[in-house]
Amino acid sequence: MPPVTLQARRIYILPTASGVSAAALLFLMLLAGMNYANSLALMLCFMLCGVTLVSMHECHGMLSGLKLLRAEVDNTFAGRLGELQLYFDNAQTRVRAGLLLRSPGCAPSRFRLPPGGTQMVRVTFQAGARGRQRIERLELSSSAPLGLFRAWTWLHLPLEAIVYPAPGGARPLPARGGDALRGAWRSRVSGEEEWAWLRPLQDGDPPRSVAWKSYARGAPLLVAHYDAPAGVRRVLDFARLQGLPLEQRLSQLTQWVLDCERLGETYSLQLPQQSLQPGHGIAQQRACLEALGLYGQ
Amino acid sequence: MKARAIIADEPAVLPPQTVWLLLGGFLGAVLLNAHHTALWCLPLALGAVAWRARSLRVTPRLPARYLRTGVAGLLTLAVLVGFHTLNGIEAGSSLLVAMATLKLTETVHRRDWLIVLGAALFLLLAACLDGQALWLLPLYAAELWILCSALYGLGAGADAPPARALLRRSALSLAVALPFALLLFLFVPRLPGSFWALPQPNQAFTGLGDEMSPGSISQLTQSGDPALRVRFDGALPPAAERYWRGPVLHDFDGYTWRRHRADLGRAPPLQYQGPAYSYEITLEPNQHNILIALELPQGLPDTLPNAYPTFDYQLIAPAPVSRITSYRLQSYPQHRTDTPLSAAVRRLDLQLPSGRNPRSVELAHSLRSAADGDGPYVDAVLDYLRRGGFTYTLEPPLLNLDSVDDLLFRTHEGFCGHYASAFVMLMRAGGVPARVVTGYLGGIWNRYGEYLYITQSDAHAWAEVWLDGQGWVRVDPTAVVAPGRLTEELDDLLPAAAGGRRLLDSPWIVDAVQAWQGLNAWWQDEFVGFDFAKQLGLLGRFGVRNHELQALALLLAAGAGIWLALIAWGLRPRAQRSADDGLSRSWRALERKLRRVAAPRAAYECPTAYAERVGRARPELSATLAALARRYARLRYGPSVSRAQLEQFRRAVRLLRTPPRHPAR
Repeated sequence: MPPVTLQARRIYILPTASGVSAAALLFLMLLAGMNYANSLALMLCFMLCGVTLVSMHECHGMLSGLKLLRAEVDNTFAGRLGELQLYFDNAQTRVRAGLLLRSPGCAPSRFRLPPGGTQMVRVTFQAGARGRQRIERLELSSSAPLGLFRAWTWLHLPLEAIVYPAPGGARPLPARGGDALRGAWRSRVSGEEEWAWLRPLQDGDPPRSVAWKSYARGAPLLVAHYDAPAGVRRVLDFARLQGLPLEQRLSQLTQWVLDCERLGETYSLQLPQQSLQPGHGIAQQRACLEALGLYGQ
Repeated sequence: MKARAIIADEPAVLPPQTVWLLLGGFLGAVLLNAHHTALWCLPLALGAVAWRARSLRVTPRLPARYLRTGVAGLLTLAVLVGFHTLNGIEAGSSLLVAMATLKLTETVHRRDWLIVLGAALFLLLAACLDGQALWLLPLYAAELWILCSALYGLGAGADAPPARALLRRSALSLAVALPFALLLFLFVPRLPGSFWALPQPNQAFTGLGDEMSPGSISQLTQSGDPALRVRFDGALPPAAERYWRGPVLHDFDGYTWRRHRADLGRAPPLQYQGPAYSYEITLEPNQHNILIALELPQGLPDTLPNAYPTFDYQLIAPAPVSRITSYRLQSYPQHRTDTPLSAAVRRLDLQLPSGRNPRSVELAHSLRSAADGDGPYVDAVLDYLRRGGFTYTLEPPLLNLDSVDDLLFRTHEGFCGHYASAFVMLMRAGGVPARVVTGYLGGIWNRYGEYLYITQSDAHAWAEVWLDGQGWVRVDPTAVVAPGRLTEELDDLLPAAAGGRRLLDSPWIVDAVQAWQGLNAWWQDEFVGFDFAKQLGLLGRFGVRNHELQALALLLAAGAGIWLALIAWGLRPRAQRSADDGLSRSWRALERKLRRVAAPRAAYECPTAYAERVGRARPELSATLAALARRYARLRYGPSVSRAQLEQFRRAVRLLRTPPRHPAR
C-alpha cells in the first residue's frame, strides 16, 4: 500500500458539545456588549471568537497532511479481537495531539505525534467468522487543542485479515510418527539453530559463521560452531477426525497446531486436497492456520 | 458515539500547571470585579481557590449535595438582600462569583472546569462593562491571556505541556485572533439603542448644576475632573472667545440663581458675523441634559438628532448625558439680532425678588439715572466694579441671604459667580434684561491629542444683557475685577489655591501628563466611543450607506476569508531535516549493500523491520541482519556509545557479504 496523505477536503469538522456551549456564551457576550454599547466588551467577545476560530483551524490541522505510511493487520482467531498496526508520519513542525483511532465497535487508541515523528499505532478490531475478513473503515479523529471542535476522517484501507478457526476440542494429539529421533544430543525448542561453541573472530572467517545473535546482545564479534537440527514429527490429519462436524474438526486441528508449536514439535497437516510438509516454527504455524482458516473458501 | 461520550465525561486528571492557570484565571476575574461585587465575594472566592489548590492532583472529596444546594440558595438570597435585584452588573457579577465558587468546589469532570472557565470569562466581560479606562486595558489583556492558556491546558487534558508552553501557545493564538477581532470590531453592525433597558448608574458626577449660589462655582473649580474635550477642524478661537456655554440661569431669590423650566418659545434669530468655528465636543457624563457648546452655536449637533434649542440658546439633549457623548457643532462668537425681545422673556429677565438687596437696588437706580441709555449703564456698572476695590479669590467669606448687598458693601471679595450674580442683579434693577450664564472658560491645549482639554476647574459664570439693536450681549464682570482671567490659567491668578500643584509643574511631568491624556483621549474617541454613528461614518467612507448591509456582509466575509487564508498559510505543514552522523553513515552503507538483495528500505520501515523483511527474502542473511539491526538500535538509542563500538559496527557492516542469489534457489 502506498503512503496516504490525509487531504484537507476529506476531513470533516463540527463543534463538540463544549463548542456549542462556547458559541452560546459568545452570543450572550455579544448581546451584552451590544446592549451596553460597550466597545471593550465587544472586543473581548471578538477576541474569543478569533481564538475559537484559530482553534478550529488548529483542530483541522491535527489531521490535515498527516501521512499514513503503511497499515498491517495480524491474523486472528474467530470471535477474538484482532490487531491492526498503522504507521503514521508527522512531517510538520507542530505536535499532532489528541489523536484517536478507532475501528467500529472497539475502544479507541489514543496517540500523539511529535514534530517529525513516526509512530506505530495499534488498534483492535473485532474478528468475525473463519475466513477472509475485510477491514472496514477506521475513524481517525482529534478534538485538540481546545476540545471545542472535533475533526475526523475515515481511513479506507485495502486490508484483509485471515480469521483462523477458533481453537477448541479436547482430543489428544495424534501419536508421533515418521523418521523421528535422529539422536540429537540437545533438545530443540525454539526451532532455530543454536551454536555449540564460540571463538573470537579472525580475519578470513566467513561472515556466516559469526555469532550474530551474541553480537546483537552486546558481545564482541565471535565465530560460532553449529549443530545440525533435530526433531520429532506428528501428522495432523483431517481425515482422522471422523464423526465431528466440519467446523469442529477445523477447530480441533487448530488446537493441535497450537499445541505442537507449544511443545516445539515438528508436524505436518493433512487436509482433503491439501497437505502441508512437515515443519515447525512461526512460518509452519502460519501456513497451517491459514490453510485451516481458508479451508473450503 | 460512545467514544465521544467517554472523552467528554472523562474525569479531569489535570496536571498542576493547568489547575494553577484555571485557579489563577478565576481569581483574577474575581479581583477585577472586586470593587463592585458584594463584600463577601472576594473572601469566598479566595477560600474556595485555596481549598481547591490544596488538592491539585487528586479529586477532592465533595461536600454533600444538600449542603451545596443549601449554600447556593443562601448566597442567592444574600445577593438579593444586598442589591434588591439579581439584574444589573453589580448583582449579576456577585451572583456569578458565588455560583462559580460553588462550582469550583465540585470540579470533577472536564465539563465542570469548562463551566468555571466560562464564568471567569463572563466576569471579565462584566469588568469590561463596568470600566473601559485605558489603564485597565493591560489588566484585562493579562486576564484574557491567562484564561486562554487555561483553556489550552484544559484542552490538552492529562498531557498538557508546562505552563510556559501553554502561555506561549495562547499568546500566539491571541496574536492571530487580534486582527480578526479588529475586523469584527469595525464591521459587525452596532445598535443605535439597546435591547433591554439599562439600569442607570447611581454615580454622582461633578459638573455645572441647575442652580448657582455664592460659592458653588468655586467649589467646582477645586475638582480636576475632565469636563469636555474639543477638537477643532481649523483654527482655534482666540483665548478671549473660548466661552463654553452651559446652563443659563434666570430665576433669582436674592441668594440663588436657578434655571427657568418653562418654554418661552423660540430664541431671537441671530445674524452671524465674523469667523465660524467647526469643532467636535466629547462631553463627559454629567447630571443634566445640557449640551455644552461654544458661544453661540448655529444649528443642532449632528449625532444627536433629538436634541433641541431653547429660547436662551441652550442645546438640550433628550436624555441626561449619562455616558461620554460626542457631537459636532459650528459656532459664531460674533452675532447680532434685530428682532425685538419677546415680552415674556423681558419680564422673566427683569424680575427681582421684592425687598431683597435694597442697597444694591438703590445703587442701581443712582447709576441708572446718571447714565444715558442701556449701553452707558452697563459701562457704568462695570466701571463701579473695576474701581470699587474688589478682589478675585477662590475662598471668599460667607455671604448672608442678601448676597449682593453683602458682596458690594461689606466683603468686596468674590469669585466669578459672585460678580456675575451681582452684575445681573444690578442690570435688572436698572431695567436692562439680563441673565447669568454658567459654563467653562478657556481650556488647555493638548499637543499630543491636538484638542482643547477643559476640566471642571475651568468652570465659570458670566452675564448676558439685552441691548436693543444688538441682541443678547455677553458681559463678563470677572474680566474687569481680574483682567487676567481670560488669558491666564486660573492657578496663576489664585496664589492661595496653587500650593500643591507647583510640585507638578516641572516641564517633563506636564509633558508626560499631556501625553497620557492625549492617549486616553484617543482611546476614548476611537475605541470606547466607536458607536453606531461612528460606524456609519466609517462605512460611509467606504461608500456604504445605512441600507447597504449586503455589501457590508460581503466585506465582512471577504475580510474573514482573507484572514482565514493567511492562517491556513501560516499553519501549512513543513518538512523537517534529518540528522546525520557516523552511525547513520554506516547504516546507509549497509542499506546500499542490501540493495542488491532486496527492495530498498521504505520510509515506514524501522531498521529492525527492514532487517526482518530482507531476512525473509534471504534466510541465510536473516540472523546477521537481525543482529546488525538490533546492534544499531542499541547504539542509536542505548545509554552511551564509545568510538570503538561505532568502529566495530562499521567493521561488522563491512564484513557482511551479499552474494547474488544462487540460481538453484
